[in-house]
Amino acid sequence: MLIDVHELNSGYGKVPILHNVSFNVSEGEMVTIIGPNGAGKSTLLKTISGLVRSKSGSVAFGGQEIAGITPDQAVRKGLAFVPEGGRPFPNMTVMDNLKMGAYSNQEVLKTGILEEMFTLFPVLERRKNQYARTLSGGERQMLAIARGLVSRPRLIMMDEPSLGLAPKLVDEIYEKIRTLKVSGLTVLLVEQNTSYALEVADRGYVLENGRITMEGPANELATSDHIRRAYLGF
Amino acid sequence: MIETATQSVITGTMMGIIYALIALGLSIIFGVMNVVNFAHGDFVMLAMYLSFTVGTLFAWDAVITPVITVPLLFVFGLITYYLLIDRTLRQMYVVQLAVTVGLQILMRSAALIIWQAQPRALQYSFIQGNIEIGPYSILTSRLVGAVVSLIFIGGIAYFLNKTWSGKAMRAASDDLDVASLMGVNYHRTYALTFAIGAALTAVAGGLLMSFQQTDPQGGVRFGLLSWCVLALAGLGSLPGLIVSGIIVGIAETFAISFIDPRARLLAVYAIFILVLWLRPRGLFGRK
Repeated sequence: MLIDVHELNSGYGKVPILHNVSFNVSEGEMVTIIGPNGAGKSTLLKTISGLVRSKSGSVAFGGQEIAGITPDQAVRKGLAFVPEGGRPFPNMTVMDNLKMGAYSNQEVLKTGILEEMFTLFPVLERRKNQYARTLSGGERQMLAIARGLVSRPRLIMMDEPSLGLAPKLVDEIYEKIRTLKVSGLTVLLVEQNTSYALEVADRGYVLENGRITMEGPANELATSDHIRRAYLGF
Repeated sequence: MIETATQSVITGTMMGIIYALIALGLSIIFGVMNVVNFAHGDFVMLAMYLSFTVGTLFAWDAVITPVITVPLLFVFGLITYYLLIDRTLRQMYVVQLAVTVGLQILMRSAALIIWQAQPRALQYSFIQGNIEIGPYSILTSRLVGAVVSLIFIGGIAYFLNKTWSGKAMRAASDDLDVASLMGVNYHRTYALTFAIGAALTAVAGGLLMSFQQTDPQGGVRFGLLSWCVLALAGLGSLPGLIVSGIIVGIAETFAISFIDPRARLLAVYAIFILVLWLRPRGLFGRK
């Protein structure tokens, strides 16, 4: 198992958000965590990456305990996080944004990773000297995913890559995510867009009110009554 | 009249470029760390005193003293950061304000104890004299000051755009959380930012001591000047900072030439207030 989260509790200040959340992701697997707005999905990823401090519980990554780690240490362990909305650095060029992805592991730039990213996202090569603030929403999201991949992480966590994008762009982003899956990347995908997430993922967990309420293979979740009624609108 | 005005423009431009260098330190600290350093002018004051001491001790020309004062101010910046600023980062603005204003008072008092109240100046340096062009003269010391300032501003631009540390500073300025997700340790990046901001005042201090004196209250003027330049320029544009420095320098020189030498800060205040009133994000600022 690459990451094993056990009974994780977390929140902001005195407000608890996550209650005894447990899940795991194996090497090469794509796992999705779905759930409604406000369920704690973002908080979960922020806690694992160290942006939010956990209150209790354990996060084992590659067999090593990383709960309570700071974000700059987490990325050095091989954990990349693409935050909600992508959040590329607006006043830096596309190229500098990508290079910042290699900040924790500067040698990686010599491995041809930027060329790989330009092959995966050709639009980024065309825009490489533009400031990120001039990019469209879809381009920003692609830049953020590419920036996360540049460090050659062992696990990449994505927070709602489809958020705020037009349906055509969501298709495009998910096509890229599928490509990444085929290449063997380990992905933890948090989504509100349940149908897309369950279509691409191997397994899924349902997070509601800060608790894991269901889990199982993605295709089983997609056909379960609860998911169909509450999330897929059948 | 025209001649006086032209001469004021020449002198003001030279002074303004040095002001831009001073404001650059304030600008990167504010821009990267979102910390308002009210003691910035007093760092200039301290730098000038150190330049005086080094110049007196080794019988050096003021313009050479930064060789020693830059490392000193860099270390002083690091110590200040870790001892004071780092602890105020996640606090309310008023805490930062109290800490940097307290630092200001501390530095002025320390200067008073160490160097006493009377103004200090170095012997006239080898860059005295003028370059005469027709009816106008350029003071060599101002010209050297302006050229050295431009070189250092250019050096900082290179550092920010081309080095890993510089990129980390810009990333932290744009989005601190995401920068830390990239592996930026913000304590270290902030410490470096603050130390560079302090070290830049050492360069300016050496340049200023080649033609000025300093006293324990000297920081007031440079603090105000650098805030005015920064307000005029806005954040994020180095050329904008230079142009704004020049505007402030010329305004100051005009006030000296046409009103009264004591009115120099009046012009600076007037610009400051006008900018805050008419264009709070500055002439060249983003967002």
